[in-house]
Amino acid sequence: MILKIRKREESLGWGVLVVYLGALALALAVCAILLALAGKPALEGLVILFRGAFGQSYSLLDALVKAIPIFLCALGVALSFRMQIWNIGAEGQFALGAVGATFVALSFPGLPALALMPLMFLAAMLAGGAWGLIPAVLRLRLGVSEIISSLMLNYIGILVLEYLVFGAWKDPASFGFPMTAEFVPAGQIAHMGPTLGLSLGKLHWGLLACPLAGVAYSVFLSRTRLGFELAACGEGERVARYAQLPYGFLVLLVMGLGGGLAGLAGCIESSATLGRLQPTVMAGYGYTAIVVAWLARLKPWPIAFTSFLLAALRVGVEVLQLELQIPAAFGQIMEGAILLCVIAGQFFLSYSVTLKRSRPVAAAASKGERA
Amino acid sequence: MTRAQSRTDIGAVDVLPLVRLAGVTKRFGQVLANDGISLSIMPGRIKALLGENGAGKSTLMAMLAGRFQPDDGHIEVAGERVRFASPREAIAAGIGMVYQHFMLVENMTVAENVLLGQEGGFVLHPAAMRRKVGELAERFGLGIDPGARVGGLSMGERQRVEILKLLYRESQVLIFDEPTAVLTPVEAESLFTALRTMSAQGKAIVFISHKLEEVLSLADEIAILRRGRIEGEFLASEIESPSELARRMVGRDVVLDIKREAVVHGRQVLDVRHLSGPGLDDVSFDLKRGEILAIVGVAGNGQQQLVEVVCGLSRPDSGEVDILGQSWAKFFQSRDWKGALAWIPEDRAGLATCRTLNLTDNLLLTTRQGFAQGQWLERARARETAKGIVREHNVQPGNIEAQAWQLSGGNLQKFVLGRELYREPRLMVAEQPTQGLDVSATEAVWQRLLEARKTAGVLLVTGDLTEALTLADRVVVMFRGRVMGLFPVTDTAQVERIGSLMAGLKE
Repeated sequence: MILKIRKREESLGWGVLVVYLGALALALAVCAILLALAGKPALEGLVILFRGAFGQSYSLLDALVKAIPIFLCALGVALSFRMQIWNIGAEGQFALGAVGATFVALSFPGLPALALMPLMFLAAMLAGGAWGLIPAVLRLRLGVSEIISSLMLNYIGILVLEYLVFGAWKDPASFGFPMTAEFVPAGQIAHMGPTLGLSLGKLHWGLLACPLAGVAYSVFLSRTRLGFELAACGEGERVARYAQLPYGFLVLLVMGLGGGLAGLAGCIESSATLGRLQPTVMAGYGYTAIVVAWLARLKPWPIAFTSFLLAALRVGVEVLQLELQIPAAFGQIMEGAILLCVIAGQFFLSYSVTLKRSRPVAAAASKGERA
Repeated sequence: MTRAQSRTDIGAVDVLPLVRLAGVTKRFGQVLANDGISLSIMPGRIKALLGENGAGKSTLMAMLAGRFQPDDGHIEVAGERVRFASPREAIAAGIGMVYQHFMLVENMTVAENVLLGQEGGFVLHPAAMRRKVGELAERFGLGIDPGARVGGLSMGERQRVEILKLLYRESQVLIFDEPTAVLTPVEAESLFTALRTMSAQGKAIVFISHKLEEVLSLADEIAILRRGRIEGEFLASEIESPSELARRMVGRDVVLDIKREAVVHGRQVLDVRHLSGPGLDDVSFDLKRGEILAIVGVAGNGQQQLVEVVCGLSRPDSGEVDILGQSWAKFFQSRDWKGALAWIPEDRAGLATCRTLNLTDNLLLTTRQGFAQGQWLERARARETAKGIVREHNVQPGNIEAQAWQLSGGNLQKFVLGRELYREPRLMVAEQPTQGLDVSATEAVWQRLLEARKTAGVLLVTGDLTEALTLADRVVVMFRGRVMGLFPVTDTAQVERIGSLMAGLKE
């Protein structure tokens, strides 16, 4: 028996759903086995995970809050993935965005909210964008792989953030904890609940940035000339040269914009969720964003959906941690397992695999003779 | 040349051939890549396979090496019918191939590369491996240090490693795809010596080449392939000179009845004066509106470099190029997408189009400036235009949502041509526009190029002499970056000499 692998001529249709659900089930099975190996009740663990993630309205709200930075970072990296520029640096750009916003919040505490908030957004996007431009320039000028440089800049970015909160920006009243002073109220993004008269937990107005960014992303890609040129550049530099696409400019653009979006996420996270800058702002959203962008195949609606799903997974794992004393790293293991299973499953979307009886060479030859 | 003059299947009268192809046929969709090919590969003989690009040489060798299976006909090894399901089975049957692009592990040694997958046990014995490979190299006159790291070797030395891989696997038939393309003249000479040594020890050698002198100096037998068929096979000793070989190679057959009506020539659209640079040596010619100028020559004689300069990809080193009355620098600084220059590259699937974009987006690839209001793209209008092109040029399937890779080569080419004509160029560069196309697509492309003369001058770069003589007003023959001749197609005396000029001979 041999496996025969063929490229599919037409798409799978509803089979796509089966493949994705199958991949998800496989990933969950792997996680269950890991739970069992750790001496925990596997099935009960999965039940706790699901209840923790989707069981109550407050857990759903919590997931929504976490999905905001993931979604923004994922849009940013998806932009560069579109043209096969592999920006792995959302985490560092996120850190720089948080630093930029904090700088404004701490420097101009006297400004009214209408001036301070836009200024914080602007500073965050500029800082994140500039951080994203470094790998772009290195790639264009010196041919350095942006995968390596953007990844390495993550560590530098996080260290810059820590240097500031452990040193120059440390709040004298923090009893030695590494954190800045709390932002003035004008520099904090408010929760949505009180204004709307609803009980919405920690959900804040930063959520509005998501539909805005998402609409801008899809309009840019589908309606503008630059967006089209970006997609065409995804086929490689040779086609870009043939069609006179501004390849270098587009590399700078996607890295700058991607960094800006991650920076915006950093600003929202420090201003709305923490109200100050502290090392815990770095929760790995920038890395989750890469998983999200890839799982969603770079499309805006799937990015939104997947961001929420992986944010919910984080919430679920937090509950699991409390109830079963599972280490925090389990969440990352689950993310990884889902990504690997889905990517492996995507193979079946473009190829069909059938089992065939192998025929001995001689038999095949004699058959040819008769014909 | 008539069929009576040439024998096919030359070795049938000799001893038992190592490998025999009997009526091997291979189709790719509508295109007949190989049409009833019969060849015998004899031990101790060197056979050259000569033909233009797209003549079907690579397909034929790929079938021998087990990468494709014939649709019709069969292959015999030592008198036994075989059907290779994979290259591994072909290697097991003693047929090995050295490709143009070497497949070696750069940070392993020569000996390790040769024995890769053949170590014969879990524990390696580096010294014994080096000794074995060293002995093998010596036996066949392939000077190489078995302990050297492949990453530090020259192309010639890497090729020797590839050969050693086959010899170690006891291949009896060694196939070389343009083996001297990557070699210096000295390396090529030592390769020839090694090939003669191998052949003297009973190996059968098959090599694919464009280079006529090299074929004559090395081969015992020569087979010529044209449009998927064996056009003739003879002993190298029967050929008097490279120019005779060239004449037999290019042949002349009118496959299509194309009427070329005269068009009044207009203003000059391209003027190349004393252009030199990498691969180009003092090239001069001009082109007027209403004219088709064919650049002919064996592939790799400077045509590509010339096209890159004319199309703005590389800057002219020395000499001058004027396009539409402007200097090269000025033209490419301020060129308009419409009414200027259009280019139909040889690589229609990887360069002229984006595989995974649909036809509308592929239309936009070179015409986007015409469908944009500022930054806003007018996709609806582009869709209508794409539909028009598909209808007018009879592109199948007629669905503009189809992605480029879903179209056959001929239909993709018709679409590219339609797109480039939509730009109303005044200078059009067409590189091998009908390579690999079937007869009907070829005819359609030719008709369009002739029509384009009404508004443009066409620079046609082709390796197909029939195409050049059918379409062009004048012909430039190139050899090693130089212009060997520039004459109108009506100059029959010169046209007769094209074969010699392509071979670099100026009697």
